[in-house]
Amino acid sequence: MVAPPIPHATAPVTRSGPTTRPGPLVAATVAILVAATFIPLGYVAWSAVSIGWTRAFELIVRPRVGELLLNTVALVVITVPLCVVIGVGVAWLVERTDLPGRAFWRPLFVAPLAVPAFVNSYAWIGVIPSLHGLWAGVLVTTLSYFPFMYLPVAATLRRLDPAVEESARALGSDSTGVFFRVVLPQLRLAILGGGLLIGVHLLAEFGAFAMVRFDTFTVAIFQQFQVTFDGAAGSMLAGVLVLLCLVLLVGEASARGQARFARIGAGVPRAATPIPLGRNVITAQAALAALAVLALGVPLWTILRWLWIGGSDVWVLDDIGTALGQTIGLATMAAVLTTVLAFPVAWVAVRSSGFLARMVEGANYVTSALPGIVTALALVTVTIRVAPPLYQSVALIVFAYVLLFMPRALVNVRAGLAQVPISLEEASRSLGSSPSATFLRVTLRLTAPAAAAGASLVFVAVTTELTATLLLAPTGTRTLSMLFWSFSSELDYAAAAPYALVLVVLAIPVTLVLFRQSTKAAAL
Amino acid sequence: MTTTLLDVKGLAKSFSRNTVLHHIDLDLQPGSTTAVVGSSGCGKTTLLRLIAGFENPDAGTVTIAGRQVASPERAVAPHRRSLGYVAQDGALFPHLTVGQNIAYGLPSPARGAQVRARVTELLETVSLDGSYASRRPHQLSGGQQQRVALARALARKPVLMLLDEPFSALDTGLRASTRKAVAGLLADSGVTTLLVTHDQEEALSIADQVAVMRDGRFTQVGSPQQVYRQPADRFTAEFLGDCISLSCTVAAGIADSALGRIRVQQRVADGPATLILRPEQLVATVVSDGEGLNGVGTVIATEFLGHDILLTIDPAGDAAPLVVRQHSLNPPAIDAKVRIEVVGTGVVLE
Amino acid sequence: MRRRWSRIAVVMSILAVVLGATACSSSESDELLIYNAQHESLTKEWVDAFTKETGIKVTYRQGGDTELGNQLVAEGAGSPADVFLTENSPAMAAVERAGLFADLEADTIDQVPAQYRPATGKWTGVAARTTVFVYNKTRLQPDQLPKSLLDLQQPAWNGRWGAPPTKADFQAIVAALLQLKGEPATAQWLAGMKANAKIYNDNIATLKAVNAGEVDGGVIYHYYWFRDQSKTKEMSANTELHYFRNEDPGAFVSLSGGGVLKSSKKLEQAQQFLRFITGKSGQEVLEKGTSFEYPVASDVPANPALPSLNTLQAPAVDPSTLDAQKVSDLMTKDGLL
Repeated sequence: MVAPPIPHATAPVTRSGPTTRPGPLVAATVAILVAATFIPLGYVAWSAVSIGWTRAFELIVRPRVGELLLNTVALVVITVPLCVVIGVGVAWLVERTDLPGRAFWRPLFVAPLAVPAFVNSYAWIGVIPSLHGLWAGVLVTTLSYFPFMYLPVAATLRRLDPAVEESARALGSDSTGVFFRVVLPQLRLAILGGGLLIGVHLLAEFGAFAMVRFDTFTVAIFQQFQVTFDGAAGSMLAGVLVLLCLVLLVGEASARGQARFARIGAGVPRAATPIPLGRNVITAQAALAALAVLALGVPLWTILRWLWIGGSDVWVLDDIGTALGQTIGLATMAAVLTTVLAFPVAWVAVRSSGFLARMVEGANYVTSALPGIVTALALVTVTIRVAPPLYQSVALIVFAYVLLFMPRALVNVRAGLAQVPISLEEASRSLGSSPSATFLRVTLRLTAPAAAAGASLVFVAVTTELTATLLLAPTGTRTLSMLFWSFSSELDYAAAAPYALVLVVLAIPVTLVLFRQSTKAAAL
Repeated sequence: MTTTLLDVKGLAKSFSRNTVLHHIDLDLQPGSTTAVVGSSGCGKTTLLRLIAGFENPDAGTVTIAGRQVASPERAVAPHRRSLGYVAQDGALFPHLTVGQNIAYGLPSPARGAQVRARVTELLETVSLDGSYASRRPHQLSGGQQQRVALARALARKPVLMLLDEPFSALDTGLRASTRKAVAGLLADSGVTTLLVTHDQEEALSIADQVAVMRDGRFTQVGSPQQVYRQPADRFTAEFLGDCISLSCTVAAGIADSALGRIRVQQRVADGPATLILRPEQLVATVVSDGEGLNGVGTVIATEFLGHDILLTIDPAGDAAPLVVRQHSLNPPAIDAKVRIEVVGTGVVLE
Repeated sequence: MRRRWSRIAVVMSILAVVLGATACSSSESDELLIYNAQHESLTKEWVDAFTKETGIKVTYRQGGDTELGNQLVAEGAGSPADVFLTENSPAMAAVERAGLFADLEADTIDQVPAQYRPATGKWTGVAARTTVFVYNKTRLQPDQLPKSLLDLQQPAWNGRWGAPPTKADFQAIVAALLQLKGEPATAQWLAGMKANAKIYNDNIATLKAVNAGEVDGGVIYHYYWFRDQSKTKEMSANTELHYFRNEDPGAFVSLSGGGVLKSSKKLEQAQQFLRFITGKSGQEVLEKGTSFEYPVASDVPANPALPSLNTLQAPAVDPSTLDAQKVSDLMTKDGLL
């Protein structure tokens, strides 16, 4: 009879000590990153100061602004729980059940993130012309952002130890009980991270509401840029978003609790036996299909319609090819760099405790709550004065991407790191591997699936990013997103369509490759 | 001059405001096996982790093979201490095969034929077939995982092996045989071993030196015979096995008790005292009704343990019932009259 | 293991080299740099024609009025741009206010009639668009159309029209209204707008809504309609345009601007470019091309599909005196912003 392994759980680790203090390289990297996040934050603060109290008060305290703030808050409060339900549901179906075709569904649900926001809102207005208001905003953003929840949860589910669930079952819990009392708590870190990411992006969201007549606080920010060309006023208003983001961060931190999450015991879990769906297969497949239709089908339908109207003329392969090449180049660089840099920060966040660790993590999220134009202008202002040769260079735009999209990588890497048992790292060190060798040979490989999820999120983000690219990329850069925007703003939708299609489709093979490679690395 | 391999002096460690270890001293001779035994939470795993280098001491020093590796000011990193550490549940790397796990600590290139030969050799040492090298950890049973973890730690020929409750995850039947095999292979390889366990039988059977720990302090350190037969205090005695305590009066090294006159091991002052005996020192023989009633009791309960039987005997007089353990062939029945004889000496403890 | 290390090292060094090599921007190139907020296809035509005629190579950075305008202001004297082209005048005015433009050469100014350029001579109009009232054919008959922009504040128009008040180009219309009719009338009209109009995010959204019958009509700029008609017609198939004429504020003609940056290192070529696009061949691009915007200089007629600019009876408004700040304040007070 085989003895059951000692049940593992993701539970608080109460040991502290030199194993968890970051080394000098890690500390230095983290310090540099935090300093970098202070460029946009400092710009916002400076703007607020230079505007002065009275004008700031005037700009902020208006009935319209109150209305907009309410819209933003309502949007976050409603959309995030919806995304939790959808994201966790999809992740669970795809990772834990015996759903046929799940290898196909798995990478598919990253694609909604790749749909340009404008296309989404345009497509939905086409379907329901009278769509407007809070529910329109909720619909469009939920369908776009649920992958932020789905990815880290799926990565975590894959590495959960089935022994814990089996023990629960043996203790009398049925499937629902097991899910809510055993699985869900272990997903806490991933869910909170995904929710934070969604919340932060909702704060900064602008393009998605272009057609659906739903105004959030970012509208007020943009107005200042549009009307007065007063970068300071707009950035000062962005400070309000920073405050809202801090609220989100505090909320997430308190929900996470004081515990550092690490697995107790070693991690040689057996692969979980898939839960048989039985008759529920049809419902499950129907639900996933419906989600795919809503999140992808509607925008794709619009794109295909445009392509149909445009005929073969719009497929200027030269231009599309060049744009594709440039986009992939920039996105790959950014994805690799961001994921690599996410590790030290996630390490400090997961393995240390204390206020400093939280601040380090938090600083990265706050930048994401700012609309792209604020971060871009901050970088313009600083670079032109401090390092003119770097201005509008590849280095600068990649740096901007790292700043903008670090949270996407962070959330996933954090969840992955938390799953690596400390005892494995200790075993490695007792076998003669220095801490950095241990990191490369053990931790990194075990975190590979989570890191891959983070990298694919950053990749997709870069492909659809517009404002920072417009301002900071080297002159002559034409990414897919820029060309799509250029054509669509001229109402040449047929010409814009190929770029939109490539954008959406590109996300899928990238994610597929990343998933596969990382699964191999972690030997799952 | 025999140098001690491991020398722990005055080691102390606290977490938050809990003092887990108070002033621990321990010496390990080269080639010997030492077991630190104590109940859960007494601090034995912390001691192991301090020696391994995963924690730093608050006071005291750790010296391995003449080199000081830990003190409150300086500590050598774990990967430089040349130790073998086997965690409680093996901690095999899930993303590597068994062979890659074992070869982990060996210098690269990991693909050399030399390394492969060494892996096979190590697998054989732990009684696993060479074909296991290509399997993955999750395909092995708990006992097999433990053995692979052992092989992995031995691969680097460490000067000191540290085992954290190595057999606790195994079921009883497997435990004894694995224990024997592991003890054998450790002795054969001549590596000095320190293991911690809560199982006293394990400690007594494997180790050359047993250290009994309670609440962060050693109550006694000595050979298995010493700690068992001459326990330093009540706790140690009771922890290492069942005890039978008899109230008695000591006079000139002889204790007068309900079971007769028994020689006392140590020098003790005369007067009333409590005498400790081990169950196997009492032998119960059935007497026929006709014999004298001195030192005769009645069997009131029996517990069959397979190899042994436990007899609960109510002695004559108002003394409390005694438990006697003996072989289970032809046991006395309940209500039988038995005479209890005491073999060997007793110990007087406070 | 060593092989993996070396592989990582190789990848890292490639990354470093790539980043390092591309870190230096091409500020020493001999190409003229335009920050272009005008529609790309139009500028591309201008650039191609210019290079063909003069041999001077041109490159441009495509963006929006807001983004590029703010960027220029933030860049200040360190900007790499030589020329700035916009879609609307507020961005030009803002950059002018920041003191970043050089005086345009007399040749260039002489080519543009006075009403299509600011008196300061710091920039010039290079193309124009007119305000129109687009209406849904099935919901409004020609005799039901508003005679003036000011009609739309009447209760009769409650819920029946839409506009994008947050867009800078709409605010230019309000600024013109302010200049033509004064503050009280403008405030009153804005109050009427707040009560009656459905708010859309931009011109395209407004057009789409009119087309779908969400509202009877909307106030937008003309060329969106023409462009859609020439392409997929998906947002204008059910609509028609109504021109207010009579020097009504609703007949306001907004300018796309062009200016030379003072900090340019190629002032000569930059001025040449401006001269070209306001010259005959440059303006003919507007006549013959598919941008559907109005030429403003060198007596070049408009695209045949468009009604001629001088039939539109646009009110006379100096573009650099449009008070964007005042408009913003008024609209804010009324809760439109």
